[in-house]
Amino acid sequence: MKMNGVVTMLAGLLVLAPAAAFGQKWEVGGGAGGGFYTSQSITNPTAGNADAKIAAGPAVGAWLAYLANSHWGGEIRYNLQMGDYMLTAGGNQARFSGATQTVNYDFQYHFRTSEDAVRPYFAFGAGVKHYQGTGNEVVSQPLSKIALLTKTNETRAVASFGFGVKARIGTNWQLRAEVHDYLSPFPSKVFTPNVGSKVNGWLNDIVPMVGLSYIF
Amino acid sequence: MKSKFLFVILAVMLVFGGNALGATVGKVVSIGGQSSDLALDEARGVLYVANFTANRVEVINLSDLSNQTSINVAAGPNSLALSADGRYLVITHFSNFVAPASSTNGLTVIDLTTSGRQTFALGNPPLGVAFGADNLALVVTTQEYLLFDPVSGTTQTLGTIAGVTAKTLPVPPANFPPDITNASMAVSADGLTVYGLGSSTGTFTFKYDVLSKQVGPGGIVLSSGVLGPRIVSLNQDASKIMAGWVMIDRQGTFINYFKAKTNEFSKGTTAFDSQRGLLYAQIPAVAGELPVLQVTDPDNLNVFEKWQLSENFTGKSVMSSDGNFLYGVSESGVMVLPVGSMKTIPRVTASVEDLVFRGSACTSGAPAQQFTVSDPGGNRVAFRISAPAGVTVFPSSGVTPAVVNVSIDGSSFGSQKGTTTLLLTIQSDQAINVVPPVRVLVNQKDPDQKGTFLDIPGTLSDLLADPGRNRYYVLRQDTNQLLVFDGGSHTKIATLKTYNSPTGMAITYDGRYVMIGHNGSQAVAIYDLDTLQAQPYINAEAGAGNEAHSIAVSAKAILAAAVDFQGKGHVIQLDLATRRAIQLPSLGAFSNDNISTTTVAVGTPNGAAILFASADGSTALYDSNAGTFSVTRKDFKALNGAYAASSFGQYVVGSTVLNSSLTPISTLKTDTGNTASGFVFVDNVGFRTTTPGTANPGIIQRVNLANGTLSANRSTRMVESPITSTTGFTRTLALLYNRTAIINLTTSGLTILPWEYDASVAPPQLTGIRNAADQSKPVAPGTLVSVYGNNLSPVNVASSQIPLPTALADSCLSVNGLSVPLIWVSPTQINAQLPYQAIGNVTMTLKTPGGTSDNFNFTVQPTAPGVFNIIRQSNQLEVTDTNPIHKGDTLDIYVSGMGQTSPIVDAGYPAPSDPLALPLVAPTVKLGNAALAVRSYSLTPGQVGVYQIEVFVPDNVPPGLNMPLQINQGAGSTLLAVRVVD
Repeated sequence: MKMNGVVTMLAGLLVLAPAAAFGQKWEVGGGAGGGFYTSQSITNPTAGNADAKIAAGPAVGAWLAYLANSHWGGEIRYNLQMGDYMLTAGGNQARFSGATQTVNYDFQYHFRTSEDAVRPYFAFGAGVKHYQGTGNEVVSQPLSKIALLTKTNETRAVASFGFGVKARIGTNWQLRAEVHDYLSPFPSKVFTPNVGSKVNGWLNDIVPMVGLSYIF
Repeated sequence: MKSKFLFVILAVMLVFGGNALGATVGKVVSIGGQSSDLALDEARGVLYVANFTANRVEVINLSDLSNQTSINVAAGPNSLALSADGRYLVITHFSNFVAPASSTNGLTVIDLTTSGRQTFALGNPPLGVAFGADNLALVVTTQEYLLFDPVSGTTQTLGTIAGVTAKTLPVPPANFPPDITNASMAVSADGLTVYGLGSSTGTFTFKYDVLSKQVGPGGIVLSSGVLGPRIVSLNQDASKIMAGWVMIDRQGTFINYFKAKTNEFSKGTTAFDSQRGLLYAQIPAVAGELPVLQVTDPDNLNVFEKWQLSENFTGKSVMSSDGNFLYGVSESGVMVLPVGSMKTIPRVTASVEDLVFRGSACTSGAPAQQFTVSDPGGNRVAFRISAPAGVTVFPSSGVTPAVVNVSIDGSSFGSQKGTTTLLLTIQSDQAINVVPPVRVLVNQKDPDQKGTFLDIPGTLSDLLADPGRNRYYVLRQDTNQLLVFDGGSHTKIATLKTYNSPTGMAITYDGRYVMIGHNGSQAVAIYDLDTLQAQPYINAEAGAGNEAHSIAVSAKAILAAAVDFQGKGHVIQLDLATRRAIQLPSLGAFSNDNISTTTVAVGTPNGAAILFASADGSTALYDSNAGTFSVTRKDFKALNGAYAASSFGQYVVGSTVLNSSLTPISTLKTDTGNTASGFVFVDNVGFRTTTPGTANPGIIQRVNLANGTLSANRSTRMVESPITSTTGFTRTLALLYNRTAIINLTTSGLTILPWEYDASVAPPQLTGIRNAADQSKPVAPGTLVSVYGNNLSPVNVASSQIPLPTALADSCLSVNGLSVPLIWVSPTQINAQLPYQAIGNVTMTLKTPGGTSDNFNFTVQPTAPGVFNIIRQSNQLEVTDTNPIHKGDTLDIYVSGMGQTSPIVDAGYPAPSDPLALPLVAPTVKLGNAALAVRSYSLTPGQVGVYQIEVFVPDNVPPGLNMPLQINQGAGSTLLAVRVVD
C-alpha cells in the first residue's frame, strides 16, 4: 500500500514533466549489471554479533527519462536485484534466497549539452525499495539466536546517488554506463533481530550497470 | 504359449496325482514292475525307464506321463544311459544267477534313430553304465571298467576292480533293484565326470574323468560299512557329489552328510537343482517313516522345506533341462515332481519361528502376539493350529493368508519364574509340506531376576566372545549358521554359513580366524574375522574319517576332539597352513586310539595349555610348552556341563575345580538338582551359571578362585535358564573383551547381563510428575507424562513395541493399582502414559529390582492440554522462529493431556482412525487474542496418547516474534509463544 502510493507520486512527476519540457527528447531504456551490498552488524548481548548483508547478485533495470533543458533532466527507474540474505558470525553462516525491487526518481545533471555525443552526468533522487525473502523455511537456522532470516516482504524508503556517462551511437540510440548507490534503512523484517538483539544503520547497495536507451 | 499351458496343466496334475494319503506331491507312473534306472530323452519327449523285473524298457511320454511303449530287452535291465548326442540308448543287464541257472550278464545298444539293436555279453555282472560328453559309455562290472563305443560296438578295458562282490540271483522276495545290484552311476550335467558306487558287502566308489579317460577311487571306501540309499548324483560340474547320504567335493572331503539315515539301499534319492541352487534329498531317518523329500542348501544341507511324497523314491532322479520337473525311480515305477511350479502347490508356512511373551511381576500375562500363516505361492490353503494349555489361538483354523492372534493365560504361567517353552502345531490337510511348529516362549520373572533376553530361534550349540573385537559368536546348529553379534548393541551383524551341524568353535591364537567343527561334516569351516569372508576349510579327516567336534587353540598347536567314521574318538591336530589334519599317534605317553566320543577341548587364554574333558570322566592336558600331553586322569565316573580353562593354571569341568595337574581341588557348591551350564575365567575370578531346569531362572555366581569357593551373597537369579545337557558339555557363558557385558546361551536364545549385574540396587524414589509435552504440572487421564525421581531403573531402555509394555527393564509403574504403559525408563526419568481411568487424587508407586517406592500422591485434572509441537501444513515442518506461522496457514497442533475420549481407547494402545477418538471436552484456540477456527480435534490415529487439533490462521492475527498461542479446554489451558509473520 505504501509502495503503491510512492509509485503514484513518481508517475505524477513524469506526467507533469513533459509539459515543462515540451519539445525536448525522451529516453527509454534498460540495463544490466550487479549489486553489491555493505553489511550491518546485529548485536546480541548473550548470543554475540552477526554480520547481516545481502549477497552480491545480478541486477537489471529499466528507466524512462526526459531532458528538461540542455543540462537538467530526470528519470523514473525500476531495478530488480537478486541476492541471498546472509547472516555470518564466527564461521557460521545462514543464507536465505531473496530479491529486492526498487522504484525511484532521479534528477540528472549533465555536464555537457544535448548536442554533445558524450555526456557525463550525476544523479540523485529517492524512492522505495521492496525486500523479499523467498527461501524455504526450515525448522532451525544457524545464528537464529541473533537474527532470523524470514520469508516475508518489506518496503523501505531509499535514497539514490549516482553518476555515469551517456554516449550517443546514432540518431536515436544511446549507450549508458553508470554507478548508483541506493541507501535504505536496515530491513528488519526479513532480517528479524531475535529477542535482545539490536541492529541500527543503513544498507548501502552499490549497483554498476550498463544499458541502452532509445531517444525520441 | 501352448507349451506353457501344458506345463501348468501337467504341474497341477502332478500335485495330487499320486495315491496320496493326505496332501502329498508327486505324480506316480506305475510300470507293472520294479524300475532300476531312468534316462531322460527330452529331444524325443520321452523318459526311458529300466523295468528290471519285467525285462523291459518303458518309454514314458513326458507330455502326459503315459506309458507310450515298452521295449522288450534281455533279462535284468539294471542300468541305462543315453548317449550325449541322443542317438544311442545303452542298457546293462544284471543276471548273476547261480547254477544250475546260467548268468546272462550283458549289454544292449539301441540306435534310437533306426531302432537297430545289438546285444553284447559281459563276463561279469554290470554295476551300471553312464555316457560321457565324448559319446562313449563307461560300463562298470564287478571286475573291470569298460569303455564302450556304441557306434563301432567295440570295448576297451580301462582298468580292473578287485574286491567288489555282487549278489547272486535269485534273491528273496520283496527286494528292490538297488537291494540286488547295490550299485548306482551318474554323470555330471557337463558330461565330464562319472561317479559310481557298488558292492554288496561294503561300499566301493570310483570316479571317471571323461577328458583324460582315467578312472580313480571315488573317495569313499567302506570295507564293511554300507552307504544307502544306493544313489549317486552330481551337480553341474561335479564339484559336489552325493553318494548315498554323503556329499563329497572335488578334494574328496566329506563336506556334508546327513546325520540321520537308515542306510536302506532302496529308499530315497538325491538330485541337484543347479538352477535354483538346491539339493533335493529323500534320506529316510527312521525305517518305515512316511516318504519326505528334503529341499536343502547344497552348501551345507540346511533344510529349507520338507515335502510329503506320494511314495518312496527307490533310485536315481534326474532334473529336466528347464528345471521344471524332477523325474525319479520310485516304488511303482516313476514319480514326477513339478519343482518348477511349486508356487501353484499348496504349502503352509508361519511368518515367525518364535513368539515371545514377556511377563513380569507387574503384570499377569503379556500382550497378545500375532503371526501370519500363508502359502508362499499365494494360494488359499486351509490350516488348523493346535495350542497347548494356557495358550489361546484365534483363529485356530482358517485359510491362508491369515493373521493369527496368540495370547497366554497369565495365571497358567504366573508361578513359573523363567521361560516355559511350548509349541504351536500347524497342520494342513491340503498342504504338501511339513509345517514347522512355532515355538512359544513364555517368560515370567520377578524384579530380582537379572538380564535381558534376546530371542534367537533354533538350536544353539556354542558361544564365544572375540578376544579383541567387541563381538561375540553363536553357532546355530539346526540351520548351519555362525551368527555374529555386535557387543555394543547386541544386534546380529552377520549370518555366515557353516557346514552341516556345527558343534564347536575356536578362534586362532592370533585372533584372525574362527574355526568351526561339525558332526555332519569332516570339514572345519574357517572365517576371517576382519572381513567375515569364508576361507578354505581344513579337512579334519586325518586318514580315519574324523570329524572335529570341539576345537581348542594353544600357542603351539590347534587340537580338536574328533570322532572317526567307526565312532571312535581321537585327538587330531589341525594345520592352518596345509589345511589338513593329522590324528595324533598318541597323547604323549597315553593312547589316542579310542577316547570318549563326547569330549570337549578348551585352551587357556594365554595359549599355555589345552584341557580335554570327556563324558566318561577322564581329563587330559596338552602342554604347549612341552608340545605334548602332560597329564591324563580319570577321577570321575562321568563328566558333563560347563568346562573352562584359565591362564593361571586352573580348570573347571562341571562343578569341579582342577589344578594344573588336573587334580580336583574343590567342588563348587551347587544347589540340589542344579546343573552346571557355563563357566568363564576372568583374571583371578570366574563367573558360573547353573540351573535347576530350562524353564526355571538360571543362577549366575561369581567364583573367588583364590580359595576355590563361591563368594558369599553373590548368587543372582537370571531372567531365564542357561542351556544345559545332562550327557554332554555346554559352553554357554562368554565375557566381552571390554568387560561391558556377560553373554549367556539361554532357553530363548541369549541373555545379556551388565558386567556389574549384581551391584546393589537402591529402592526407587518418586519426586515429581509432569506433562511430557511441555513439562507443565497439570496432567489429565491418558496424558503422556514424565515421572522424575531416583533409582527408577538400572538402565536406559526404550520400548519398541506397540501396545506399550507395562514393564520395561525390570521397572513397572502403577497408579491406584492400575498398570501404567511405559515408553522409556532411565535411572532418573520414566516416560509413560497415565491410564484413562486415573482421575482425581491418585497414588503412584514404582517397582524395580531395588524394591518398591513410597507412594507419590498427585491430582489428575479432567483436562490439562500441553503442546508437543505445531506443524504448518504448507511445508509439514514444525513451527519455530525460523519456520514461523504465516497468516493463512493451517496448523496441526499436537497435544498431550486432553483427557478422556469417545470412543474409549485403552492406555498404551494406538488411537483408532475409524471412528476417530474425540476428547469429551472441545478445545478453543487463540493466537495474539485472535480466535483461530478449530477445524478438527481427536487422538492422532495410530499414535499413543497424542491428540491433534487442526486450526486455521486468519489475516487478523497480529505478527510478532512472541505471540501468545492459548489453548483452552474446559478448566485446563496452556499458553505458549510463537512467531507470526505476514
